Amino acid sequence: MTDRHDGSSIDLEKELVRYMVEHRISRRYLLERIALVGGAAALAPIIAACTSSGGSASAAPSSAAPSVAASVAPPSASPSPTAQPSPEGALNILNWTDYLADDVIKSFEDQFSVKVTQSFFSTTDEMYQKIGEDGGDYDISFPISVDVPNMVERGVIAKLDKSMLPNIVNLGQEWANPGYDPGNTYTVPYMWWTTGVGYDPKRIKEEPTSSKALWDARWKQHISMLDDWQEVFGLTLIQQGHSANSTNTAEMDQALALLEQQKPLVRTYSTDTIGTMTSGDVWIGHIWGADRFAIQETIPDFAYYIPEEGGVKGSDTVATFTGSPHPVAAQLFINHLLDAHNSAANTNLIYYMGPNAAAKEFIDPAILSDPTINPDQEIVDKLEELLRLDQSVRDEYLSRWQQLRG
Amino acid sequence: MGAAVQPAEASAASTPVADAPGRIARLRAAALVLPGVGWLVLFFIVPLLLIFVVSLGSRDALDRITLANPSLDNYAKAFDPVFIPTFLNSIRFATITTILSLAIGYPIAYWISRYGGRHKVLLIILVMLPFWTSYLIRTYSWIILLRDNGVVNSLLQAFGLTSEPIILMNTDLSVILGMTYGFLPFAILPLFVSIDRLDPNLIAAGRDLYASGRDAFLHVTLPLTMPGIVAAALLTFIPALGDFVTPDLLGGPGTTTIAKNIQELFLAGRDWPYGAALGFVLMIVTLTGTLVALRTLRREVAGGD
Amino acid sequence: MARERNRWLSAYALIVYAFLFAPIVVLIIFSFNKARRGLVWQGFTLDWYPKLFSNGELLDALTVTLEVALVAVIVSTVIGSLLGLGLARLRFRGRGATETLLLVPMLTPEIVMGLSLLLFFLQLFDAHGSLAQLWIAHITFCVSYVAVVVRARAANMDPRLEEAARDLGASAWGAFVHVTLPLILPAVIAGGLLAFSLSFDDYVVTTFNSGVGSSTLPLYIYGKIKFGVTPEINAISTIIVAVTAIAILIAWRAGAFDSGPRRPVADEAAT
Repeated sequence: MTDRHDGSSIDLEKELVRYMVEHRISRRYLLERIALVGGAAALAPIIAACTSSGGSASAAPSSAAPSVAASVAPPSASPSPTAQPSPEGALNILNWTDYLADDVIKSFEDQFSVKVTQSFFSTTDEMYQKIGEDGGDYDISFPISVDVPNMVERGVIAKLDKSMLPNIVNLGQEWANPGYDPGNTYTVPYMWWTTGVGYDPKRIKEEPTSSKALWDARWKQHISMLDDWQEVFGLTLIQQGHSANSTNTAEMDQALALLEQQKPLVRTYSTDTIGTMTSGDVWIGHIWGADRFAIQETIPDFAYYIPEEGGVKGSDTVATFTGSPHPVAAQLFINHLLDAHNSAANTNLIYYMGPNAAAKEFIDPAILSDPTINPDQEIVDKLEELLRLDQSVRDEYLSRWQQLRG
Repeated sequence: MGAAVQPAEASAASTPVADAPGRIARLRAAALVLPGVGWLVLFFIVPLLLIFVVSLGSRDALDRITLANPSLDNYAKAFDPVFIPTFLNSIRFATITTILSLAIGYPIAYWISRYGGRHKVLLIILVMLPFWTSYLIRTYSWIILLRDNGVVNSLLQAFGLTSEPIILMNTDLSVILGMTYGFLPFAILPLFVSIDRLDPNLIAAGRDLYASGRDAFLHVTLPLTMPGIVAAALLTFIPALGDFVTPDLLGGPGTTTIAKNIQELFLAGRDWPYGAALGFVLMIVTLTGTLVALRTLRREVAGGD
Repeated sequence: MARERNRWLSAYALIVYAFLFAPIVVLIIFSFNKARRGLVWQGFTLDWYPKLFSNGELLDALTVTLEVALVAVIVSTVIGSLLGLGLARLRFRGRGATETLLLVPMLTPEIVMGLSLLLFFLQLFDAHGSLAQLWIAHITFCVSYVAVVVRARAANMDPRLEEAARDLGASAWGAFVHVTLPLILPAVIAGGLLAFSLSFDDYVVTTFNSGVGSSTLPLYIYGKIKFGVTPEINAISTIIVAVTAIAILIAWRAGAFDSGPRRPVADEAAT
């Protein structure tokens, strides 16, 4: 898919098969879609993706838009606007290992003759230290959305040049104006997720729906919780009917009391959810939704649910920084990530859902159809986001967390 | 015969040199020691001072470090009783790890030295070889060995010693096992280096002098290898006290260490000043304890000569 | 009687080596694991080995790690050995302070050391992490270890030996090279081996002092935890062990490990 075509003649059959294999779309799925929306509409996005390495105007925000797709516009030769500064020769990205699909990086490098260098971290807090006050030497990284306002205020994140981001139209409607960054002025949403409970059905021979299952003494020493004070307190507060972002110390104390009751039952507090759940020692755990798919590679029927009491959602963003050495390349890369095809490739790699409506065409249907990874909008609206709390509030939580863990 | 030259130096007892030719010796000492001291002062002490200054500060509304109102508040906060259990955990793990590493390491260092022959260096390198792999993967390997349906449990059940899996992972046991494993080379190497320079004639003489091999060992070999034992103890206990990764990965809810608290304050808590203060408190406590222990040990060793 | 002790001790040694290598055996076995993520055996495959050779980032990380370790080991061994020797042999004022200075890096929590260096380079040099910064950081935490080991060895060494050599006509440098150095060499090498292990596996100090293009293997590996550590890492660890073992074997065959001339018996004359 990184080859450029002028659209004149492509071996559709070959491209199609290659595309289907790459994205694990079954023939049956494709046929179903053709039946549903018509041949042109079903195949057009695929052809578009095959014939240009960037997003095209034919990618519409909603998934079923036959009228737009029927007129297969000539594939845009280049995803970037005509008059734009040329990119610097390099781009420095700071992220987790394997967070970006190799194809996505390669296609960017090829298209713009930019050498991409990735640097790694293992927790977001580390990332923030490395980024510092102006981005360090990094051009691109992925701050958590709730941390963005603070970083903007400190002058860490640079404003986006929308003229260089035509692919931004690919974003779903619900992401057009997020609370943490109105109008997506400084950042663009990247991935979003839910936090809930995962379990191995072979061990837990029932179907729990409540987060109280993590307090079930029957699974003593086979329960895990995330090693993240905000997530753990969030889950507990919601279970007790409070807000996950409560500033009320009495409520915090209640949550602490409940967590202390749970402690003897807990095997480990860990954010290595994949390692923990696949080791077999933990049967039910507090995990991020997308991890379920990774765990399923080892435990095929591993289940995940958002607790009935309510759950937590979160998202991260792509951002470039005020001190970034390659601002033009950074902007182009952000645009590149917004491309439907690329966003889908990333989702298919790490299983996290993107905010990219156009990408839904290309995402592995198993992920797309899973209501726990990709819940309906109404469910998503009910989930609470863990906000960046005020210092004094955070300190209150942290001291209780220390008490719990001591 | 170097009679004119520093006779006082010959004694291993602690009388300091004070004569004129000692000036040359002192200059020579400076030449040897200066690169190391200079390096540590520039690249360790100075950065540490920066962090010390940070520990006197606080955070502004945006979580940036500010020195607007320097104070010792963070140090007062560092003596919060909430840290006592984790501090005790750290001490406990470090102590047990050190004792085990010394106990396990001494015989093997002895074996390599006495029976290794031509292959001594090879055997020592073999001790280190496992540690030129990734720490994380070694830890995962221990998880594979120790987990409920892991190798150890399977073997125990196969030999009929247990009827169902016993919980080995995420316990004090797994932490101590993992830490001892990780620090064993740090004990074996200095022990070996010290044992290896023992003159076999002395050992033989000792065996002649004392009735049993055990007494010979206790009264000859052991005291002579004391510097090695002290070095091994230092290289094990001190870093073990600050080890938070092993208890974190192999441990459970009850194995949180003070080092983890400090880490959390810096990163999750975004509170460099507080984390720094707690870190310094830990360092001072550890340093004091270590210096006292060393001084006591030296007094006893010197007295026993 | 001596032979019998030998048997028990040898059995013991075997057990200790088995203990040291047990996780390594597991590590090697799991490098052939079909499962992409997760700690469960799902069948045999050789795929990870060719895969790792086409993984540019992994290979770059390994290269950086070795570049850092090599410099760190050489410099810290030299500086640390001199420091340990000076502390052990020679009496001088400020010895207590120097000894304390030696111990403090070891008892500094890694996060404190890592962030202090980050702050140092940021505030004073506006530097954001680089290979050179990693060299400096690694040397700094390795020096103490080397010094402690060398010092232990040199502790009981009779300083009159070097004097005797000089009396016999050797220069100060010559006496050092031909008398002192051989005596402390095992400790120097041991210190170097420890320093290498410390540097190779370091995470916390490294993460805060690495920059663009200077990510080490541990950084790459820990970065994988979030989305699953793949057996590629087992594979590269296996290769490292294998290559090192082969190199050691070759050196051993070539007699590189044969002990040198017997050390002087007069060594122990002083108490």
